[in-house]
Amino acid sequence: MATAGIRLEAVGKRFRDRARGEVTAVREVWLAVEPGRFLTLLGPSGCGKTTTLRMIAGFEAPTSGRIWIGDTDVTGRLANERDIGFVFQSYALFPHLSVFENVVYGLRVRRWSGAEIDRAAAEVLALVGLTGYERRFPSQLSGGEQQRVALARAIVIRPKVLLFDEPLSNLDARLRVHMREEIRELQRRLAITTVYVTHDQEEAMAIADHIAVMERGDLVQVGTAEDLYARPATPFVAEFVGRLNRVPGWVVGAEGGGLVVDVHGQRVHAGGAGLDGAVLLAVRPETIDLDPAASEHDSAVVVSRTFLGEKIEYTVRWHDLSLLVCGWDPIRRGTFAPGDRVDVRLPAHGARVLGPRR
Amino acid sequence: MTLLVLWALLALFVVYPLGTLLLKAFVGGDGRPTLEHVTAIFGEAHQRRAFANSLLLAGLVGVAGTVLGFVFAFAAVRASLPRAWSRVLDVATVLPLISPPFTTAIAVIFSFGPRGLVTYHLLGLRDVSAYGLGPTLLAETLTYFPIAYLTLKGILAGIDANVEDMAFSLGASRARVFRTVTLPLAIPGLANAFLLLFAASLADFATPLILAGNAFPVLPTQAYLQITGLFDFTGGAVLSFALLVPAFGVYLLQRAWVARRVYVTVTGKTGPATTIKSLAPWARWPLLAGCLGVSTLILYFYTLLLYASLVRAFGADETLTLAHYANVFTAGRKAIHDTLIIAAIATPLGALYGVVLGWLLARGRFAGRRLLETLSMVNYALPGTIVGIAYLLAFNDPPLALTGGATLIIAAYVFRYSPTGIRATVALLHQIDPSIEEASRGLGAGSVTTFRRVTVPLVLPALVAGLTVVFIRSMTAISATIFLVSVSWTLITVRILENMTELSLGAAAAFSVLVVAIVFVALGLVALALRRLRTPGAPLASVLGG
Repeated sequence: MATAGIRLEAVGKRFRDRARGEVTAVREVWLAVEPGRFLTLLGPSGCGKTTTLRMIAGFEAPTSGRIWIGDTDVTGRLANERDIGFVFQSYALFPHLSVFENVVYGLRVRRWSGAEIDRAAAEVLALVGLTGYERRFPSQLSGGEQQRVALARAIVIRPKVLLFDEPLSNLDARLRVHMREEIRELQRRLAITTVYVTHDQEEAMAIADHIAVMERGDLVQVGTAEDLYARPATPFVAEFVGRLNRVPGWVVGAEGGGLVVDVHGQRVHAGGAGLDGAVLLAVRPETIDLDPAASEHDSAVVVSRTFLGEKIEYTVRWHDLSLLVCGWDPIRRGTFAPGDRVDVRLPAHGARVLGPRR
Repeated sequence: MTLLVLWALLALFVVYPLGTLLLKAFVGGDGRPTLEHVTAIFGEAHQRRAFANSLLLAGLVGVAGTVLGFVFAFAAVRASLPRAWSRVLDVATVLPLISPPFTTAIAVIFSFGPRGLVTYHLLGLRDVSAYGLGPTLLAETLTYFPIAYLTLKGILAGIDANVEDMAFSLGASRARVFRTVTLPLAIPGLANAFLLLFAASLADFATPLILAGNAFPVLPTQAYLQITGLFDFTGGAVLSFALLVPAFGVYLLQRAWVARRVYVTVTGKTGPATTIKSLAPWARWPLLAGCLGVSTLILYFYTLLLYASLVRAFGADETLTLAHYANVFTAGRKAIHDTLIIAAIATPLGALYGVVLGWLLARGRFAGRRLLETLSMVNYALPGTIVGIAYLLAFNDPPLALTGGATLIIAAYVFRYSPTGIRATVALLHQIDPSIEEASRGLGAGSVTTFRRVTVPLVLPALVAGLTVVFIRSMTAISATIFLVSVSWTLITVRILENMTELSLGAAAAFSVLVVAIVFVALGLVALALRRLRTPGAPLASVLGG
């Protein structure tokens, strides 16, 4: 089965809730995933990302809009008529079936012959590294192994699209990193269009070609990890993807399509336009430099520090601001101790204006 | 100390009576073991037929009740019922559970008997018989299918909706998902429900006594007649022992097969339930119609019962009257009084016993824990007739001549109906991490404070469950205690049966309505108290499931 793109056209989902009345889970989402691409839906819990995924799968019916898989409008179709592979957060393995029977369930539905089924199962189990596990039952597997069975079961039917609902959130941190690399590798090899839901921005950045950020039922920005990090469309995206400091400043001029902002005497060239007076800047922690204080005047105090090996994180108090600062390679470049006086150097370029300060 | 008392009590009220029954059945007059009593009784074709009939009836009730329970459970869990509809199902299924076991049987006679509403008045039939296999099967199925319903509802609701969604996404049709996923996952529940119903029907004494008639003898009624009619205690012992064989077989099956096949969801976290259910829209209506039909039948039976209690003579003189209730509160006053006193003593005793024993079983470390647990379940697992006969035999003569007194009836209730409370306590405590109690101690609370402030509130739902079940059964049970009543202590349920045999059906109906009303009010109060206490868990359904 050839892979196919996915298109959502003004897809929305409202439902009635006993306690809250009419609730809008997803509001008019427009989204296109090119064939063979890997997209993550990223957002905090309750933002509508899982609902969106379940609508693509056919587990929920949208209340408005159309969903296309390839050239087919699948809006009115049930999940069993969409040719999808789905991996659940809970894995949803069939507890009464062996690993083998779990994996070939979709093939039996498609009435493959016994020989074909055996071959496909052997192939896919080898692919996920579970050869020899055929006769085991789900309850006899570790979390990572269950995850692989779920994956094998979803890809063995060669679906048009592959859908993941926070598949790694039940695994420990190390395994999570390992599995996400495997999933990425597998997806590249099979070149199946993939949509992957997660609330973990690091996971999203590591695994996907494109990230779609959702906030309270709205799709707020779609782009590569770099796009989102360097050019967030809204304060929400800026804050959700990576970490940042909110720094108040005054607009003192415009230059080269951006604004020049004064922050305690330092000039910062920041992206943004059309604003005047008091603004809020988004400044990433790793763009701020700290130097030993040259004088008492205008210096800051290190409040606390967290040593993390390849980097060190400081909280420093500068005027009335509390800044998060991140320094790399701390062993070679030296560290400050809490109570040390330091000079803060904001980046001359690269900050962004979040909006007016209220 | 507590432990010692418990061992002594179990020895006295479980081991000793059962041992006496064994001796009676298998020891000859010369004091040597013999099978002559067994061969004597089962030399009679009549008794052999009773044995076969019992198995046949139990098997049929098991199948019919399980199917009905599954349909109800499936509708309740999967058909996304409107609230009002599921209330109807709830009431219809809870009524048989809280009624005296022969309520449906009485209503069947009102409806399908010689002067029955349907047979006589609607169809104009003459000389019909409401006795035999068919009516007994109907009454027992309606009485016991709620057990299957509750069991299966839990199982179906426990199936991770994602697993069905998954099968869907792999391309399976609705029917295929049902056949290859839903049904296999429900099989342990189905088997369990069947075995529960089989055991319940096998032990049921009241329904066959009223409905089976002479043409369809079954073991429990034969044992009863052997003792009360022929004063043949040995024969009664043997017959009740014959009942024990399939009952024990069922118990073994349950342990060996079902217990191993309970599928637990592999991971705890489950996703949101799907809104596109595994039930096709067209299939919803026949399913609901079936459930509603059966519910209506049950409600119709109870309405009939109420009506019969309010007219002079149902089927003949239907002028409204309160005479039956007047009779109930005058002539029946002693029975009501005795029943309430016995229930009032047995309920707190039984609940306390359940929680204490449950706590010891769950948290205690001592030799013979498994034996203690098994012993505590014996009277519960045995058919009531056996327990009744065993008590009668064991406590008939000095030094333990307790027969006819309230003590023995109370003991019968406590040791027969507390296991629900025991199991609820054990289950609750297994769910509760001991570290919660440790945390309390870590925060500086003494062990008394910990028990009072942490443990007691945590096991409160189990205590309530124990109280409720013992109370309901004290009000409604008959199979064991009919052997234990006397002139000085009698029970409402026994009065109902006497009324039935004297053919004063109006009084029987009035008594039944009274019992249902008392239990209903008590249940309402419990529900209210639970809500007030904001105690999680222990919904009524789980209380009644045991």
